[in-house]
Amino acid sequence: MSAAVATGAMGRPPPPPPMTVGYVGWLRQNLFSSWINSLVTVVLAAVLAWAAIGLISWVIVTADWEVITSRVQLYLVGLYPQEGTWRPQVAVLLLSALLGVSWRSWGGTARGFAIGLSAVALIVGVIPHGLQPLNRVLVLAIPAAVGLGYLVSPRLIAGRPRRVVAAALLAIFVGLLLIRGIEGVPGLDPVNTNTIGGLLLNLLLALFGIGASMPIGIGLALGRQSNLPVVKWACVAFIEIIRGVPLITLLFMSRHILPLTFPENIKIDTLYITGITIMLFSSAYMAENVRGGMAAVAPGQTEAARALGLRGWQTTLLITLPQGLRNIIPAIVGQFISLFKDTSLVFIIGMLDLVEMGRVTIQSNLEFVDNGREVYLFIAVVFWIFCFSMSYVSRRIERALGVGRR
Amino acid sequence: MNRLLYVQGVPFWRNVVVLRWAVQIVSAILVIAVIAGFFGNVSREIAARDIPFGYGFLDREAQIPIGESIIGYHPSDSFAYGLLVAALNTVKASVLGVILATLLGILVGVARLSPNWLLNRIALVYIEVFRNIPLLVQLLFWFLIVLSLPTVREGYVAFDAFYLSNSGVNLPWPVPQDGFWLWALVTVVGIVVAAVVARRLLWRETETGKPSYPILTGLAIAIGVSVIALLVLGPMSMGIPTPEGRFGRLQGGAELSGSFTALLIGLVMYTSSFIAEIVRAGIQSVSKGQTEAARSVGMSGILTLRHVTFPQSLRVIIPPTISQYLNLTKNSSLAAAIGYPDLVSVASTMTQTAPAISLILVVMLTYLAMSLTYSLIGNLYNRAIRFKGT
Repeated sequence: MSAAVATGAMGRPPPPPPMTVGYVGWLRQNLFSSWINSLVTVVLAAVLAWAAIGLISWVIVTADWEVITSRVQLYLVGLYPQEGTWRPQVAVLLLSALLGVSWRSWGGTARGFAIGLSAVALIVGVIPHGLQPLNRVLVLAIPAAVGLGYLVSPRLIAGRPRRVVAAALLAIFVGLLLIRGIEGVPGLDPVNTNTIGGLLLNLLLALFGIGASMPIGIGLALGRQSNLPVVKWACVAFIEIIRGVPLITLLFMSRHILPLTFPENIKIDTLYITGITIMLFSSAYMAENVRGGMAAVAPGQTEAARALGLRGWQTTLLITLPQGLRNIIPAIVGQFISLFKDTSLVFIIGMLDLVEMGRVTIQSNLEFVDNGREVYLFIAVVFWIFCFSMSYVSRRIERALGVGRR
Repeated sequence: MNRLLYVQGVPFWRNVVVLRWAVQIVSAILVIAVIAGFFGNVSREIAARDIPFGYGFLDREAQIPIGESIIGYHPSDSFAYGLLVAALNTVKASVLGVILATLLGILVGVARLSPNWLLNRIALVYIEVFRNIPLLVQLLFWFLIVLSLPTVREGYVAFDAFYLSNSGVNLPWPVPQDGFWLWALVTVVGIVVAAVVARRLLWRETETGKPSYPILTGLAIAIGVSVIALLVLGPMSMGIPTPEGRFGRLQGGAELSGSFTALLIGLVMYTSSFIAEIVRAGIQSVSKGQTEAARSVGMSGILTLRHVTFPQSLRVIIPPTISQYLNLTKNSSLAAAIGYPDLVSVASTMTQTAPAISLILVVMLTYLAMSLTYSLIGNLYNRAIRFKGT
C-alpha cells in the first residue's frame, strides 16, 4: 500500500487498484486478499471438501436408517397409546394453522417457517417408515392446515392483531387438553402420563416450564428489588441456590423429596414432579431476566411516574414492568432454547424423552446395537432444527423491537 | 390515648413507619411459615415412612468402586473420602474444560471476525451447530465414537508416546522425584521475584516513558528460575506410556479414560461455541475508531487486535465468560450419563447403600460452593475494572 502511494508521489501513475466488483472481485476481496489468506482458503476448502464428502457418503451409503424409520412413533411421542396418536397430531395441525395465520399477517419469518414446515411434512409423509396410514394422512394434512390458516387469516384478525394471541393461547390449551385427554368423553380417554415420551415430552416440559415460570419469575424479580429485607433475602436465597446447582441434582432431589410434601395416599406422577422441578428451576433464571429487563428501563420513566403522583406499586405494575417485559422477549426465547435442551436431562429420573428413547433403542435391541451414530445424529438434527429456528426468531424480534438501540 | 394513636396528626394505620414494619413482620411470618411447613412436612414424612436420613454414613466404608481418582482410592475408604475423590474428579474435568474451552473459544471467536470469508463461515457454522444441540446428545455421541475406536494394541500411536484407543488417551506426564517440593518452592520464589520486578519496571515505564518490557522480563525471570532449578535439581522424570504384558496395557504417563475424554471433548466444544460468541460480540463492541486509529498509526491487523481491540474488549468479555465457566462446571454433572465418576455419578451410586437425601444435599452444597467461588471471582474482577471516576 505505502509502496504504491510512494511511487505515485514520484510522478509515475500508481497501478490500478484491484478489482472489487463482480465474482472475481468478491473472491479476491474475501478469499484471496493476501498470500496468507489464499493459503488459509485453499487448506480450509480442501479439509471442508474432504469432510463433506465423507459425511455425505456416510449418510447415503454406509448409514442404516432403519433404526429411525421403523421407530418414528417412539421418538416422537414415546409410549403414547397407538390409538390415541391422532390427538397430538391434531394439536400440531392447530399450531400449523396458526402459523398460516401469522404468515398472512406478518409474512417474513413466518412465511419461511410455514413453507419449511410444509415441505418437511410432505417429505415425511411420503418416505417409507413405520407410521400407520392415519398418522401419515395427518402428517400430510399439515400443509393443508397452514393453507387454511392463511385463508381465514383476514377474517380471524379483522384488524385486531391481539386476536392472534388469543387464538394461540386457545390452540395451546386445546392441544394440551387433547394430549392429556378428558374424563368421560369417548375417544378422548385420559392417557397415563407416564406413557408420554419422546419429542412430545421435551416440548411439553419446556413449554410448561417457560409458561409457568413467568409469573413466579416476575414475582421473584419484584421481591428481589423490594425494600423489605425479609422478602428481598428470601428471594435472593431462592434464586441463587437454584442457579448455583445443576438441574440434574435438582431433579435427583425432587425425585426423593417432592413426593414427601404430598400426603402419602396421593401418588404423584413422575411427569408432574418433573414439571414442578423444571418450573422452579426456570423461574430462578426468569427472575434474573426480568430484573435485567426492568433495570434497562430508563430511570426517567420511574421519576415521571412518581412525579405524576403514581404510588410505588402503581409505578412498578403500570410503568416499569410492562416496559421491562418488552425488553426481555429475546431473553425469554433464549431461555426457552436452553430449557428445551435441558429437558434432555430428565433421563435421571427415568423418563423416556427423545434422547433417552434413542439410548434405550440402541441398548435394548441387538439388531440396532451398531446404529448409535444414526440415532444420535437424528436426535441432534431434530434438536438443532428447533433451537436454531427459535434463535433465528429471537434475533428477528430483537431487531424488530430495537432492543439495545434505544 | 390520642397521642398514642396519632403522630403529627396521622393515624397509626396510615403511618409509613408502622405500615412498613407491619408488612415486614407479616412477610417474615409468611416466609418462615412456608419454609417451616415444607421442612416440617418433609421431616415428618421422612420419619413416618422410615426413609433413612442423617450423616452417620460418612465414616462408614463406602465399598463402591470409583473408576478413577487423582488422589488414590480403595473401596474400603470411607464415604466422605469417596465423595472427596468424586468432587476432585469434577474439579479436574471442569478446570481442564475451562482452560481448553477458553482457548478454543477465543480462536473461533477471532476466526468469526476474519476477513477470510470461508474461515468466517466455518466459525459461524461451528458456533451454530455446537450450541444448538443438547450437551447430553453431544456427550453420548463422543462417548460412542471413543468406544468404537480400536483397542489399545491396534489403536493410534504418535511418536511412540501418545496413544488413542477405545480406553481413552495416554500421554507422557512428569512423575515427581525426590527434589520435587524444593523445586516447587524455588519456582514459587521465582514467580514472586518476577512479579516484584515486573511491577517495578511497569512503574518505571509509566513514570519515565522508557520502554522497559515489564511482562517480558517478568516471564523471563520466572521461567528462567524454574527451568534452571529443574535442570539442577532433577525433581521430575518423564513417564512415557509403554505397552506391557500380553494385552499391551499401557503403563506410565497419564491416562485420560474414555469417558473422561468424551466428557472433555463435549464440554469444550459446547462451551467454546458460547465463549466464541461472547468474544466476537466483545471485540465488535470496541468502537471502530479505535481500530482505524491503530491502523492509521501503522499497526498491522494482528498488532491492532493484540494491543488495541482485545484489551479493551476484555471488559465486555470477561463477566459473561465467567458465567460460562460456571455453566461448564455445572454441566460436568452430565458425566453421570457416560459413566465418568464425577460428584453426581458417584453420589447416585452411593444412594444404594447410603441415605439418598443426605447425599444429594452434600452434592448440592458442593456445587453451591463452587458457584459462589466463581461469583466471587466475577465480583472481584468487576470491582477491579470499574471505571475509576476522576
